Amino acid sequence: MSIVYADNNATTRVAPEVFEAMRPFFEDQYFNPSSMYEAATGPAAALKNARASLARHLGGVHPDEILFTSCATESNNTAIFGVVKANPARRHVVTTSVEHPAVLNVCKELEREGLEVTYLPVDRQGRLDIADFVRALRRDTLLVTIMHANNETGVVFPIGELARIAKETDPAIVVHTDATQTVGKLPIDLGGELRHVDLLAFSGHKLHAPKGIGALFMRRGTPCRPLLLGGHQESGRRGGTENVAFIVGLATALELAATTHEADEARVSGLRDRLERELVARIPLVEVNGGGAPRLGNTSNISCHFVEGEGILYQLSAAGICASSGSACTSGSLEPSHVLRAMGVPFTAAHGSVRFSFSRYTTEADIERILAVFPEVVANLRRLSPYWDAAANRPRPEAEGMLHGAPAGHAR
Amino acid sequence: MAGGIACRRYGLRRREGGMTWEYSEKTKQLFMDAVHGAPGTHMGEIADPDGFGEHGSIACGDALRFTFRCERHPSDPLQDRIVEARYLTFGCTSAIAASEALCAIIEQGGYSPVRALSITNQDIVDFLGGLPEAKIHCSVMGAEALEAAVFNWAQKRGVDLAALGLDITRQEQEEGRLVCKCFGVTEPYLRRKIKELGLRSIPEITNAIKAGGACMACHHAPGGLQDVLDEVWGRQPSGLITLPTLPEVRAEAPARAELSPYKLAKQIERVLEEDIRPRLVDDGGDIEIVDIKDTTVYCRLAGACAHCAGATGTMKLLVERVLKERIDERIRVIAV
Repeated sequence: MSIVYADNNATTRVAPEVFEAMRPFFEDQYFNPSSMYEAATGPAAALKNARASLARHLGGVHPDEILFTSCATESNNTAIFGVVKANPARRHVVTTSVEHPAVLNVCKELEREGLEVTYLPVDRQGRLDIADFVRALRRDTLLVTIMHANNETGVVFPIGELARIAKETDPAIVVHTDATQTVGKLPIDLGGELRHVDLLAFSGHKLHAPKGIGALFMRRGTPCRPLLLGGHQESGRRGGTENVAFIVGLATALELAATTHEADEARVSGLRDRLERELVARIPLVEVNGGGAPRLGNTSNISCHFVEGEGILYQLSAAGICASSGSACTSGSLEPSHVLRAMGVPFTAAHGSVRFSFSRYTTEADIERILAVFPEVVANLRRLSPYWDAAANRPRPEAEGMLHGAPAGHAR
Repeated sequence: MAGGIACRRYGLRRREGGMTWEYSEKTKQLFMDAVHGAPGTHMGEIADPDGFGEHGSIACGDALRFTFRCERHPSDPLQDRIVEARYLTFGCTSAIAASEALCAIIEQGGYSPVRALSITNQDIVDFLGGLPEAKIHCSVMGAEALEAAVFNWAQKRGVDLAALGLDITRQEQEEGRLVCKCFGVTEPYLRRKIKELGLRSIPEITNAIKAGGACMACHHAPGGLQDVLDEVWGRQPSGLITLPTLPEVRAEAPARAELSPYKLAKQIERVLEEDIRPRLVDDGGDIEIVDIKDTTVYCRLAGACAHCAGATGTMKLLVERVLKERIDERIRVIAV
C-alpha cells in the first residue's frame, strides 16, 4: 500500500533535484571549504554561491547576512539568546502564546534568567490584536519574537507590519521571526515587506531540503552574540565546519520553491480547500481551526468534537495516511495543543484535532484517499464515545453544553 | 496493590524520536476490533444496569462510562454474578483497548461484584501485554470506573461494603484540598493512590493518575506532589530538584514628561477630536486612537483613508504636525 503523506509541516521529502545537487559533495567534493589548496576551491565556491542564492531569494539582502546553522531550533536559539546577551540593559521580550517550542521554551528560560516576557494572546481564529501588541511594547523592550506562520494551524501573522510598528516605536527594539513554516511557501522579501525584520530563522527540511540544515538571516548591525563559539566560520557568528552538501541542498530547494511556489500554492490550496469543504459537509460537528484567518494554503487543522485525536491518527496510519494531532496523547504532555487552547478551542474539540499539511507532491488521489477514510474513522470513535449518540449521529443532550463551555485554561 | 507500577516490570521503552505507538500487539488488536465493532467486543451501554461507574472527563482527555449486568442471586446479593460488561470511552488508542480489556477480564472471570474489586489496573496492564509508561493512567481509569460501578451496585442492592471490610470511600475523590487543579486531583485521593500503586516520584504519579501532567505548578509547591510524596514515604535525603527562583520583578522607570501622562493623553485626544477628525471625515475617512504611550500616539485610519495609498503620509503630515504644533514637539505618530 502506498503512503499518503499529509504531514509536511513536520517534515518534507527531499526533492530529487536537491538530492542530485548535493551528491558531488558526498563524493569527490568532500574538501573543507576553509582549506587553502586548489582542490578545496570547489566546495568554497559552492558555499559562496549557495549563500548568495539564499540572499537573493530572501529579498536581495547581503550574502553576509545569511548564517547557516543545523536547524531552525538552533537558529531561533542563536537569535534570541544572542540578542539578550548583547543587550544586558534591556530586560523585556514580547512573543505570542502560540509560538513553536523552539521559541516558547527559550522564552521560558529567559524568564528563569530574570527577564520579563509578554505572551500575546490570540483570538478564536488564531489572530493577534495589533492593539495588544502596541500595549505590550515598553521602554525596556529588547526583543520582539513572533512567528511568521503557525505550524499547527497555518495562521499567518502580519510580521512586516508588527516589525514596522516596533521599529517606529523604538529603533533599538530587535525584531526576530521564526519563519520555519513560510520560507518556500510564501515570498520572503527582507528588502521590502519585511525590511524591518532583523532576524529570521528557518530550516531546510520543511521545503524539500534534508533535515539537519537551518539558516538565520541576521541584518547587518544587529546586536547579537554567537551561541556556538569556535572557528571563523560564518564570520565568527557560528563556529563549526560548514555542512557544504546540505547548504547546497538548502539553496537548491529554495531556488526550486521560488520558481514553482506560485503555481504550487494555487494548486495545493485548492486541494486543501476541497478537502475541508467535503469533510465539513460529510461529518457533523467538525470545525476548521483558524479557518477565518489568513492561512498558509497547505495546512488544514480540523477538530472533530467528542473524539480523541490519537485514535484518529492510529486508524489513519493503519490506512496508510500520515497526519498529526494536537491531542494530549500525541503531544508528549497530558495537555492538548497549547495553540488550540490559546485560541479557546473547547476541550471537546481540542483533543480531537487533526492536522493535514500538504506539499507540491500532494495529488488529487491523496485527497480522495483521505476523504474515503476519514469520515469512517471519526464515526468509529464516536460510536465508542460516551458523549455521542451514534443512532442520531449527534452529541448526547447532556454533552451539548460542553461545545461552547470552558474554552481556554484547565479542567475543573 | 503490590509492587511498583507496570512500566518497570515490562521494561517498555519510548521509541526513539518521541511518543508513538509503542503498543503491544494485543493493545492494537483490541483497539482495531473495538473501532470496527468486531464480534466479542464490548462497546456500548447497558440499559438499566446493575452497576454504573464513570471516570475521567473530556477536559482531561479521556473518560470512561462502565456498566455491568448481573445474574442476581435470589437471596444473597454477595453471590450476584456479573454476566455482561460494557463501556463507552472517549480517549486514545490505549484508553479504548484498556476498556475492552476490563470488560473481557470481568466477563471471562465470572466475577461477583465484590470479587471484581480485586481486579487492579495491573491486571488490565497484564491483559494488554504491557502499556507504555505514559499510558498507565489508561489502566488506572479502568480500575477506577470499575470501583465506581461496584459502589453503585452496592447502593442499589443494599450491600454495606464497609461492613465487609472494603474501604471504598468514593467521596474522598470529591472532597478535600485540590493538589492538582488541572486534573482535579485531591489530596486524599492522591495519598491513597501513592500508597496503592507504590508511586515514588512525580513522573510516576503523572503516568498513573495524570496529576501534575499539565501546568506542573503543583510539583514543588507547598503541599504539592513532592510534599505529599515526602509525607507518605518520608523525606528523601538528597537528589531533590531545586528549581531556580525567579528574581524580583523590577518596577518600570517612572515616565518623564512635563505634562502628566494622563493630561497629555487627554490633550492629544481633544486635539484629534476637535481639529483633526473633522478634516478626515470631510474626506470620507476617520481616525481612531489605539494607544498613547508618553509622546507616542498609535492611530488607526478608518473609512476611505484606510485603503488610500497616501494613508501613512496623511497621518504623518497632518496628524503629527498638528499635534506637535498644539501640544508637544516630541509627539510622534505611528500608524497601526
